[in-house]
Amino acid sequence: MSTELERRLGEMLAEAPEPDPGAGEEARHRALRALPPPTRSHRGLRTLVVVVAAAFVLLAIAAGSLAAVGALHVSLGSKSAPRPRTIPLSLPRGANGIAAIVNGELSVVTKSGFRLQGLPVSAAALSPHALYVAAGIGNSIVALRPNGSQAWSHPAGGKVVAIAWAPDGLRIAYVSKSPHGYRWRLSVIWGNGTHSKMIDRLVAPTMPSWRADSLAVAYDARNPAPSSVKGGARGPLFIRDLAHPTELITRLRPRQGEVAQLAFAPRGAKLAVAEVHRTLLVGNRPRVVWRGTSQGIGWLDGRLAIAATIPGLPHRGVEAFTTHDHLLAAAVPGPGGTVRILAGRVGHLRTVLQVVGKPRCHGLGLAHRCTAAIRENGVQLG
Amino acid sequence: MRKARRGDREAAAALFRRYWRDAWRAAFAITGRRSLADDVAADGFERAFAALVRFDDRRPFGPWLHRIVANRALDLLRAERRLSDEELPDTPDLAPPHGAGDRGLLTAVADLSIERRVVVVLRYGVGMTPKQIADALDLPIGTVNSRLARSLEQLRESLEVEHVD
Repeated sequence: MSTELERRLGEMLAEAPEPDPGAGEEARHRALRALPPPTRSHRGLRTLVVVVAAAFVLLAIAAGSLAAVGALHVSLGSKSAPRPRTIPLSLPRGANGIAAIVNGELSVVTKSGFRLQGLPVSAAALSPHALYVAAGIGNSIVALRPNGSQAWSHPAGGKVVAIAWAPDGLRIAYVSKSPHGYRWRLSVIWGNGTHSKMIDRLVAPTMPSWRADSLAVAYDARNPAPSSVKGGARGPLFIRDLAHPTELITRLRPRQGEVAQLAFAPRGAKLAVAEVHRTLLVGNRPRVVWRGTSQGIGWLDGRLAIAATIPGLPHRGVEAFTTHDHLLAAAVPGPGGTVRILAGRVGHLRTVLQVVGKPRCHGLGLAHRCTAAIRENGVQLG
Repeated sequence: MRKARRGDREAAAALFRRYWRDAWRAAFAITGRRSLADDVAADGFERAFAALVRFDDRRPFGPWLHRIVANRALDLLRAERRLSDEELPDTPDLAPPHGAGDRGLLTAVADLSIERRVVVVLRYGVGMTPKQIADALDLPIGTVNSRLARSLEQLRESLEVEHVD
């Protein structure tokens, strides 16, 4: 019996599904980043040391000889590399406000004169018209007034990794770590800091997106069967209609890899979904509109914008991408180990921030995902 | 392997290509959930590559990687089991990972405890010997053999009950 059972076990387990290509690609990048820095072989290193030492001795002898006859003054020291230029955050023309997080520090400039620089945060979002800023500080979500004072603070139970303010300004969706620290949950809180309610206790740390009417929020769910869903809905991407008395959940499929970004259209109910290797537009039925890495998605003048197609942005390495009406902003690698924020209209992008920094991902406990939505370097226009 | 240990990205990428599928399938077989398998396998590779300089390249890479993956999966499942306020199913997601051919056996495997399930998966899914499993999980070989025997006994009983029903 055991032999027959073992054979059946082997056959059954051999039928295990294949991994998603997207997951493999992401894992490969993560794994390669974890590699130790390349080292020269010891033999090569020894040769290099001998050559450098010999050259140094010869140079010292020659310099000493010249110095002895008064022909040369010798001093030893290292010449420091020029420091890259730092540019403080400025407001792009036509925007009400801009918020940027680089190296985990928030900078904000608004049309009303609000200016903030260097506040350590884990996430941030501007309210409509850039009147307020909501930020993840410690294990709380905090709203700041235009004068920089705290309007309210609400304990989130864990680090807040993504914040999205509804277009009507009345509600805020935020993703926070669970108190146990290795999973994320989605909550919605009123814009005045009251009535916080957990919507889903197992979600991906991807920025949720609000529908234009502010009555529904799309997010990347991880729970195979949320307790509130009868009939066992499965499939990780949900649009939750908050106005519906039974909290209608829509399942979207097919899925292919991780969701990197979600973006509802500024009007209507179309939802753009950027996965690692393709972008879909979800209307009456999902259709693929872009194959390949999008580098970020948004809506410009009511039309879907894919960062990879925007002239003036690098072909690789866009860390964050956001749009507002006809404006866009992107965090990209700058010269000399800097991070730079480019912002403006298509074809008229200019640097509105440049600081020393590098791409960094949130430490996510079990895994370190690097999707556009959860990078520590981010930008938002208001 | 030696090139990868010296930080050669191409060699490391080749190593990844060779072992990713097996590592993921082992992670899936233990956790039973795609999203967890993605996390566990990716985390396993990340840890393995970060520790590559300490790896004894006279030994095979696969079992070492599987050891990391299996232990990460076990850590995760045990942590989930400890959580009282956010209960998640401890059993694998049954729809539809293995096809409907042997659903009774799949259900029976899902009913095994984490500790028993992992040795069954490593033995019959990954093809590791009891000695390799013992090395991978830091267990005495006697414990591995006894878990395998008890698992098979439990599976046999479950299938017999199903047959009677």
